[in-house]
Amino acid sequence: MQSDNSGPIVKIRDVQPDCVNFVLSECDLALANSVRRSIMAEVPTLAIDIVEIEENSTVLADEFISHRLGLIPLQSDDVDSLLYNRDCSCGDYCELCSVVLTLHAKCTSEGIQTVYARDLLVEPNHSNLKIGQPILNDDANKGSVICKIKKHQELKVKCIAKKGISKEHAKWSPVAAVGFEYDPWNKLKHTDYWYEEDADKEWPKSDYCAYEEPPNPDEKFDYTAKPNNFYFDVETVGTINPNEVILRGIRELRNKVAGVIYSLDEIVARNANEGNAENIGGAGFGTVYGGATQYGGTAYGGTAYGGGTQYGGTAYGTQYGGTAYGNNSAGNDDYNPTTGWD
Amino acid sequence: MSADNQEKSHEKMDIDSNNPAQDEEVAVEEEEEDDQDVEKIKILPGASEDGTAASFQIIEEDHTLGNALKSMIMKNPEVEFCGYSIPHPSEPKLHLRIQTYGNITAVEALHKGLDDLASLCTVVEEKFSQSVASNNYKTVIS
Repeated sequence: MQSDNSGPIVKIRDVQPDCVNFVLSECDLALANSVRRSIMAEVPTLAIDIVEIEENSTVLADEFISHRLGLIPLQSDDVDSLLYNRDCSCGDYCELCSVVLTLHAKCTSEGIQTVYARDLLVEPNHSNLKIGQPILNDDANKGSVICKIKKHQELKVKCIAKKGISKEHAKWSPVAAVGFEYDPWNKLKHTDYWYEEDADKEWPKSDYCAYEEPPNPDEKFDYTAKPNNFYFDVETVGTINPNEVILRGIRELRNKVAGVIYSLDEIVARNANEGNAENIGGAGFGTVYGGATQYGGTAYGGTAYGGGTQYGGTAYGTQYGGTAYGNNSAGNDDYNPTTGWD
Repeated sequence: MSADNQEKSHEKMDIDSNNPAQDEEVAVEEEEEDDQDVEKIKILPGASEDGTAASFQIIEEDHTLGNALKSMIMKNPEVEFCGYSIPHPSEPKLHLRIQTYGNITAVEALHKGLDDLASLCTVVEEKFSQSVASNNYKTVIS
């Protein structure tokens, strides 16, 4: 198996039904931050996107209620089985790209009646999937409050929930918050603490200080030091379980990379075919990447870069080469991270 | 599934593939792609003659990809310089500049950076899954 001090390391500290706390180490700040951004903004979930209001005699305006409905977390474990509405061949919406929820509440008694997320009924097209059910995580299992109605007031709506990502609208975010912290002792001086007399006394210590050595005041400032441990605290809204959110976030990031690789290969191949004199890199350009079959399976990370010879004998080219792209066999022993970059 | 049924489903597939209406559909799809005519990535003017320095424009990407990719390309000892920018905040465009020491082309350096980043993602994903599977953490089950 892998030695413990090379390649990225993930240590999970705590898992709760809607939280995961883990440490990502031996990797760049840039990668850790990309993972964070990806988790926050790129993981697809399900949320109400269109509301058809049949009857609204509540005190709240139609658009106000529509907005509240949009923010209700809906079960999204199986959201991958749904198409994006924009990619679907249907004209408006259909069961391939949406989940329909209905709500009908009418107050017939004296006093005030509260309409909760649990009053939303999912139309049974996707009944065998974990998708679309409102998340009811409170003690009373009622879910979010939608509105309050008095006698003779009525709310009757049809909601169309669609798949989306929170880069478009925050209602699609799988997470309420992602705690992201590194260098709890501020050894790298990335943070400048405001203080009246003594910053050390006035500021509370981070919880993560216990996991790192306190700074030695006699030591000179190491301007080459880089952050190494990244403390994540991911808190979901309940639509997808927290471990899955992390995995999907990383996958979305990898999909982005794959999208660029695909397009880059296309333009490289086209340039080679056209025999374009202005070809960047000149002759033999098209063969460098091993043609169209590269992502078909085994060729990835294999011979395309000539293995170890590309960068003068070191295993730079094959560092992560053991794992075929998109094929993550758990616990594979091929991965050989013993040669660092540095 | 009985053999008969399989036979039928094969037949059905053959019929479908000979269906002219479906061919038409494919043609329409291709046309739509041509209409869009947007490349995910293109090489910007200003590349050197030998291809060891070039700028790329990637559309619909942001700092999520840009920063990680830049740092990954910078790790390559053959790369002299790599930087990225998002020229305008309301245009979904990412510009990436790569200059190498001359032994590899900028396109090769970019491709290597992308491959490494993809592999690194896979590794982090595996490590996370392993860590989850190890059960070596505190859990609260409600």
